[in-house]
Amino acid sequence: MSTENLVKHLPNDIGGLAGSHEPINLTEHPMLSWEKYCHALLDVLDYHKIVNTEEKRRGTENLGSEMIGKLTYYERWIVSASNCLLQKGILYPDEIANKTKEVAARYNITL
Amino acid sequence: MSSEHNHPHDDHAPIVCDEKPGYYEILEISIRELLIERGLLAASEIRDQIEILDSLSPVHGSKLVVRAWKDEAFKQRLLENGVTGALEMGITIYDDTDFTVLENTENIHHMVVCTLCSCYPRAVLGLPPDWYKNKQYRSRAVIEPRAVLAEFGTIIPDDIEIRVNDSTANLRYMVLPVRPKGTEDYTDEQLIGLVTRDTMIGVKVPTV
Amino acid sequence: METIEHNPAKFAVGDEALVAQKFPIGHYRVPMYMRGKKVRILRRLGKYINPETEAFGKNAGDKLWCYLVTITQIELWPAYQGKAIDKLEIEIFEPWLEPVKLSTNEQ
Repeated sequence: MSTENLVKHLPNDIGGLAGSHEPINLTEHPMLSWEKYCHALLDVLDYHKIVNTEEKRRGTENLGSEMIGKLTYYERWIVSASNCLLQKGILYPDEIANKTKEVAARYNITL
Repeated sequence: MSSEHNHPHDDHAPIVCDEKPGYYEILEISIRELLIERGLLAASEIRDQIEILDSLSPVHGSKLVVRAWKDEAFKQRLLENGVTGALEMGITIYDDTDFTVLENTENIHHMVVCTLCSCYPRAVLGLPPDWYKNKQYRSRAVIEPRAVLAEFGTIIPDDIEIRVNDSTANLRYMVLPVRPKGTEDYTDEQLIGLVTRDTMIGVKVPTV
Repeated sequence: METIEHNPAKFAVGDEALVAQKFPIGHYRVPMYMRGKKVRILRRLGKYINPETEAFGKNAGDKLWCYLVTITQIELWPAYQGKAIDKLEIEIFEPWLEPVKLSTNEQ
């Protein structure tokens, strides 16, 4: 099978692909505190056009099907936003590494 | 993985967690703090946005529906322009999208989906449920809407047209369901209780 | 806003159009299931920033006409199990729409 469809057909473009053998899971989880912060952060990034909503969507698609399948909704958002900020030269890899290490240390976590 | 425990918090308090955050929470805190240190955004803006998110509720949509049921002139204005119609009821479409109301009739039943992501009329219905964002609903609603509706317990008669709206650009849809018969004497509060979130996504119909 | 319309809409309400069978990479907002399908224009929605460029940080510039279009489900999905009256509506930007060429029989 040719690989070109992996390039042309984005992993979020799923209309019509699944069938009745995949029932809809109607379980709903209450929004976690960090998820609300994540949502608010992305809204503010869009207001300032630092990372607009369309860039965030592209960033989510560009995570690829494995990450899209395994990460939760807001996990995808924050990784997408991080990658967009890196691609735009607003943040750099090493400062994210240092900051995550510092934040983790506040909770006595070693990343 | 993050904990399932959803602890209450004071939105105005500094962010203090009494439990260990997961990796993605740490990443979110880190990105937010780096951007605040750079002066690219302010902590107060995040708090203000959290207040907006906390104020969202499908009850806003329910109130629009009930007014539209009782006030034909308002219904026409709401169908003509959802943004200004909602504003009449004090609801601001804060995200700069085109709020659009789809009227169900005796002949047409609408249902809403976003196959590409999770577009949803947040200003009116709040944040979308998990199933709306998951791949099963997003992929199936467009190709087998009647089977999807049946999973929600909704059977639409064969002579009623199902109209699926796939939200892909600036329109954000809310379904205006048909007022059930036998509700002529209902108070506004009773009517609002019938108009659940799912009836305004179009996966259920209000019943008495 | 604009006193002179430099970019009039190419399609009118009721027109038929074909959704282009083309394949951008990187980002798009026209689902694969709509490519190459014949649709009818329901509404001119106005002009918006092109999401395909907005997704790469272009927050301003020329706006494109966007339309609400409709198609019957049986035209969309060959094996559709629902009813012939069922339809789907979706927003499509103008560069994705092509005029329908009438065959000589239909003229």
